[in-house]
Amino acid sequence: MHKQEELLRVENIKKYFPIKGGVFGNKTVQYVKAVDGISFTVNQGETFGIVGESGCGKSTAGRTIMRMLEPTEGTVYFQGQDITKLANDDMRKLRKDIQIVFQDPFASLNPRMRVYKIIEEPLINFGVTDQAERHRRVLEVADQVGISQAQLKRLPHEFSGGQRQRIGIARALISKPKLIIADEPVSALDVSIQSQVLNLMKDLQKEFGLTYIFISHDLSVVKHFCDRIGVMYLGKMVEISAKDDLYDDPKHPYAKALLSALPKAHPLQEKERIMLTGDVPSPSNPPSGCTFHPRCPSCMDACKTVEPILQPIGQNHIVSCHLYTAEEAKSR
Amino acid sequence: MSRKLLEVDNLQVGISDDGVRTPIVNGISFQLNKGETLGIVGESGCGKSMTSLSLMGLLPPGVEWQDGDIHLHNLHFKDFKKKDWRKTRGKKLSMIFQEPMSSLNPVYPIGKQIIEMILNHEKISKKQARQRALQMLQLVGIPRPEQVLDEYPHQLSGGMRQRVMIAIALSCNPEILIADEPTTALDVTIQAQILELMKKLQVQMDMSIILITHDLGVVAEMCDRVIVMYAGEIIEESTIVELFDNPKHPYTKGLLESLPDINEQKEYLSSIPGMVPAPGDMPKGCRFAPRCSRVHDRCSQQPPLVTTESGSKVQCWLFED
Ligand SMILES: Nc1ncnc2c1ncn2[C@@H]1O[C@H](COP(=O)(O)OP(=O)(O)OP(=O)(O)O)[C@@H](O)[C@H]1O
Ligand SMILES: Nc1ncnc2c1ncn2[C@@H]1O[C@H](COP(=O)(O)OP(=O)(O)OP(=O)(O)O)[C@@H](O)[C@H]1O
Ligand SMILES: [Mg+2]
Ligand SMILES: [Mg+2]
Repeated sequence: MHKQEELLRVENIKKYFPIKGGVFGNKTVQYVKAVDGISFTVNQGETFGIVGESGCGKSTAGRTIMRMLEPTEGTVYFQGQDITKLANDDMRKLRKDIQIVFQDPFASLNPRMRVYKIIEEPLINFGVTDQAERHRRVLEVADQVGISQAQLKRLPHEFSGGQRQRIGIARALISKPKLIIADEPVSALDVSIQSQVLNLMKDLQKEFGLTYIFISHDLSVVKHFCDRIGVMYLGKMVEISAKDDLYDDPKHPYAKALLSALPKAHPLQEKERIMLTGDVPSPSNPPSGCTFHPRCPSCMDACKTVEPILQPIGQNHIVSCHLYTAEEAKSR
Repeated sequence: MSRKLLEVDNLQVGISDDGVRTPIVNGISFQLNKGETLGIVGESGCGKSMTSLSLMGLLPPGVEWQDGDIHLHNLHFKDFKKKDWRKTRGKKLSMIFQEPMSSLNPVYPIGKQIIEMILNHEKISKKQARQRALQMLQLVGIPRPEQVLDEYPHQLSGGMRQRVMIAIALSCNPEILIADEPTTALDVTIQAQILELMKKLQVQMDMSIILITHDLGVVAEMCDRVIVMYAGEIIEESTIVELFDNPKHPYTKGLLESLPDINEQKEYLSSIPGMVPAPGDMPKGCRFAPRCSRVHDRCSQQPPLVTTESGSKVQCWLFED
């Protein structure tokens, strides 16, 4: 294995959204703790997956890391530089190194803009003034993602979902980023198209040494595509691990339940399901202690009051759960 | 032998413009047996929802029933008037929709919506209907059912709304439940709960289910038999095990191979090149031919529907004679 070089380090990032209330609707009465203190690192050239249920804060995390949303607290280091402190101007320059691909290829493209313009636009924003240079880059990147020259003249609605996602990827790619945050890039696509887009992303990663943060709720896609994975629950990372360790031997009860809920791969496969009871609690009023405790099949007394922290449980494997804290481990 | 309950016979629905008919569902035939779960799978836009809406008499404005018939007992849906549909809907066939928010009325409490459904079909008092509504909510595992009766849809989580939809759909004991992507909007942990619930209620209420989905994992989980649709046509029909172990049509094979396999690590996934043709822009002959790796001269002619040794049906020239 080649030496792993850290590209991104996220330290205790929080994003709270204020809920307004009071007589005039101008008082903050509560906060939605969409992201509530997450930390992880991503190495150069790897794909880091983020999984978890709807509303657990995956998209907010992705957007906060690249400062599309300003973090409430915490630090993000990109190539060793603290980007949370960067002034707007410097941040704008850095944006070309960190790009995002959105889930909905229909909503994220300007419907009145020709595909050529859509792909070219980021270059203009990043101050590439030479038009011939821009033209060359648009053609190059269109070719890389499989959009023909004729198609560049068309409008987004003339494309299928998979093709639109290619446009979104081309747009992200044209500034030659080092990191791409892909927020559910294939969730809106059919199976046969999904594999086209995933294969394309893999090719581009090899060719340009790209690093991905891949956000998804589809556990089989994540397993296929990612090297390391973080499992989120209610704004927190509850387990982070190399892919195989997580799928072969998940530690956190939530990760276990999530993996066991995967539909069968074959009708005759026997499956032990861990059925979770109850609904996902609200991030504006998270449960005390371990936020998973009201749904946890292994809940103990400590879980109701004491918040667990992420602790190593093997090589490259960390989990935040009282089942694995030191005292517990001793008494088992 | 399994008992036939519902039969769809050469159903064609579509749009017409100046007398020019463009079929969306292009002459499909299949049957549903008593007590079974039949899956309908296929890519977005292949006509799954149009098929199920035809069964319910709920085709959207502009989309017309062009040919064929549907039979249930001695009923022939083709001749149905509005009042026949009203009598059938909810009582004989009931449907759960993909997006519960769009089919629950946001301005009425949950209880009122279930009670209305019951009173539509049964001559019982309001009080009895409310009692039944309460039982239904308990049946689908809604916590605090008494209170939820008086709550509004927006006060419930996605999983609870889907349970309420199921409660409404089952409140008149239908013979057939049509579930159009019942779990697509839900998380896997909630999806597992809802699928489990549907299986349990199917046995309890002796129902047949038509399950529409694009998720082959859900199909593996739930179905006895499966229909694969492509571009408005049925291109394969088989038992569930046969479909996974021995898929016939190149499209079905392609679909199964495109799925990431949780037990196997591959660098690249296989994929089907190209995309689904639009209605009105269909290739002649086999509609899958432009994307098919085994395409041949004769594919420009309409392929035959072949019944194979295993009892599967496949619409493809490769299986002729
Ligand atoms: N701009 C906002 N203002 C207030 N609350 C927000 C805002 N954006 C997100 N939230 C809330 O923050 C929480 C996390 O949302 P987020 O979109 O990050 O979840 P997610 O994990 O990406 O979910 P999904 O899988 O559905 O995309 C949710 O409760 C959401 O309602
Ligand atoms: N109201 C309408 N008028 C005309 N055409 C329509 C209408 N609704 C749907 N269609 C077309 O009919 C075709 C079949 O649509 P249908 O909704 O049955 O697809 P589906 O298989 O259910 O897809 P999905 O998986 O996306 O739900 C599509 O090509 C669609 O564009
Ligand atoms: Mg999201
Ligand atoms: Mg549909």
